[in-house]
Amino acid sequence: MKNSIKIFTLIIISLLLSSCYSVRLRSINGAYQPDPLLSRDDYYRGMEVVELDTVIKIDVVSKDFTYLIKETEACKSGKLHTVEFKNTFGGSLLSVFSFGKKRKLKVKYVCMKPTN
Amino acid sequence: MATTKTHHLKHWDTLHNNGPFKLKKLYITELEGDGIIPKKIDRYNDAVVEIQRLIKETFNANQGFRAYGSAWSLNHIAHHKDCMHYNGFMNIHMPIQPENLHSDTTFKAENLFLFQCGTTIKRISEVLSSHGKSLKTSGASNGQTIAGCISTGVHGSAFQVGSVQDYVVGLHLITGPNIEDNVYIEPESKAGLNDAFAQSISKKIIRDDAMFYAALVGLGSFGFIHGVVIEAEPRFLLNRYVRKIDKNVALQLADTLDFKNSPFKIPEETTPDGFGKTPYHYKVFINQYSDEPEYVVELMYKNAYKNDYKDPFPIIKQSLYMDLIHLFTKMAENWPKSIPWLIKRLEKSILPKVDEDLTGTLPEIFWDAPYQGGAFACSVGIDYTDSSKALKLLCDLTTKEGPIPGIFAMRFVKQTKATLGFTKFPVTCMLEIDGVLWKKTRKIMSFEAYCTRIIEVLKQNNIKFTQHWGKGSNWAYNGLVNYMYGNDTVNNWKAQRKKLLSPEMLHFFANDFLYETKLAADEPVIHPINPQNEDLIT
Ligand SMILES: Cc1cc2nc3c(=O)[nH]c(=O)nc-3n(C[C@H](O)[C@H](O)[C@H](O)COP(=O)(O)OP(=O)(O)OC[C@H]3O[C@@H](n4cnc5c(N)ncnc54)[C@H](O)[C@@H]3O)c2cc1C
Repeated sequence: MKNSIKIFTLIIISLLLSSCYSVRLRSINGAYQPDPLLSRDDYYRGMEVVELDTVIKIDVVSKDFTYLIKETEACKSGKLHTVEFKNTFGGSLLSVFSFGKKRKLKVKYVCMKPTN
Repeated sequence: MATTKTHHLKHWDTLHNNGPFKLKKLYITELEGDGIIPKKIDRYNDAVVEIQRLIKETFNANQGFRAYGSAWSLNHIAHHKDCMHYNGFMNIHMPIQPENLHSDTTFKAENLFLFQCGTTIKRISEVLSSHGKSLKTSGASNGQTIAGCISTGVHGSAFQVGSVQDYVVGLHLITGPNIEDNVYIEPESKAGLNDAFAQSISKKIIRDDAMFYAALVGLGSFGFIHGVVIEAEPRFLLNRYVRKIDKNVALQLADTLDFKNSPFKIPEETTPDGFGKTPYHYKVFINQYSDEPEYVVELMYKNAYKNDYKDPFPIIKQSLYMDLIHLFTKMAENWPKSIPWLIKRLEKSILPKVDEDLTGTLPEIFWDAPYQGGAFACSVGIDYTDSSKALKLLCDLTTKEGPIPGIFAMRFVKQTKATLGFTKFPVTCMLEIDGVLWKKTRKIMSFEAYCTRIIEVLKQNNIKFTQHWGKGSNWAYNGLVNYMYGNDTVNNWKAQRKKLLSPEMLHFFANDFLYETKLAADEPVIHPINPQNEDLIT
């Protein structure tokens, strides 16, 4: 009995770990919009990052979702330099239990630095 | 009108966490949009008005001022305790036209470009590529600004070319709050632009070799560098080879740079009569903790540009995973004896992969360097004929009195004309150690102590040396700068600074780095916020 609990826990942990990953797309050309205040201490130090952590609803007929990038203070050029998509276990569960209607959107993006 | 945002901050840090250092105000200036001021030259000149307004405001508040670029220097050279100005959004460029050339010039207009101070090396390369041109050389990466590069003397390993400052044609400096404090400087012996062009961006023209070469590596203290005119060259390709070769052969090459007669040859890069060709770039990587009989070396050979070459990006080095670096630092602090073992394990990620040859342009090969956590770098310049001797001394220091969590490399750079350029030898070997920042413990000496030992060891062994201005050292070491450059050179540099700046502005544009190194007259020195961390560079 004890052994089966251990095995079950191990399976859950490995599921949790393997379903949590990030994919990053980064442009070879162009410079990122800088963050002169150097407010982060991760991969994005020195970059102005926009983070989205929200739930989007996808209706039965549409298979995709388009998120529009606008010009803002944190994205002065309105053009993308880096995008990171993160898939979490919670996100996968939400999608399973809502039959794909609700999706967790956990994205970081950095815009191109505007050129004068 | 260009506008500035002011942030009231308590401290400032470098990209690689070599601080933090105290600060009062951070200014960030952005240019007016091209919809409102369509002409580039008008937007460029409009920025001068804004910078002079800031200088006036800061000066009236009895505070000092320092411009900085990408904060990539790994020490406090870019820091000022009062007000700092971030230049990263000031990146106008203007190609020079034939009618802008000085009548005596030997430059071709198609190779000359004016870049505003905050333009990064990456952006410059993109602009130049679109004109079929290239920088002559850059550092190992591309995130620095042009003003930041020349102010510290950034170099690669192009030993027949020089450093970034060595292809500068002219400097446009803002030297104070008044309209006339706006000068364009060129060497008299190598004029580039005519008065009409210089007058269109400045109020005063100085054609003077001594002034130009002093201001060129100006350590951020010759006023606000607003624009830099550089000479580019036609775009070229580099064939890059990474090989593991016998240590003695690698060191003999370092000491002689005689590739023609070396037993080491790249078969594809030999002359028809069987001699080795001289490369554009030579770099030696040294893991001082390894007993292996071979070193990894990197060579690049320059060729004319053509369109059809294989995409080099799949091979361009991937960065080390950050968490691994954190783990490495923690282990290094607690168990210094594990450092050699750790470095051996990390070797594959730190060093370029052997035998993976590639071809690419300069900006493709010296591409982005993602942030990898707190880092240190110490870099000494020595005459290349002293390369192996100095390497042995510093490797012995690092292994016997360390271990220190970093590894050595050697790059080679042609002599600069800049008065305080650290590449002052006919060919300078830049012997550098890069690694992760660590905290002093009972078992591992502080970073500052290590830097002091580097100076002492080189002095005791009569090795003439300089140090990279943008990297770690014990900059307050008594008489260091005069020892490195000699009294006459140092006095000349100071005299040119005095000639250019008013007495008020001499102080206004100086910082603790300048006072510590005695390049500016004595003033109280402000230490970082966290003085108990002895490993931080002060
Ligand atoms: C990842 C990495 C790789 C590196 N590789 C190399 C290399 O290959 N070769 C090498 O030589 N160095 C290298 N360095 C060191 C670095 O390139 C230099 O220290 C360079 O000076 C940093 O440029 P910056 O734009 O960040 O300038 P900052 O560090 O921000 O400033 C440097 C100096 O320039 C002055 N300055 C900047 N803008 C102005 C202005 N407009 N007017 C007046 N003064 C100004 C500052 O006051 C300061 O004194 C590297 C550093 C890092 C972090």
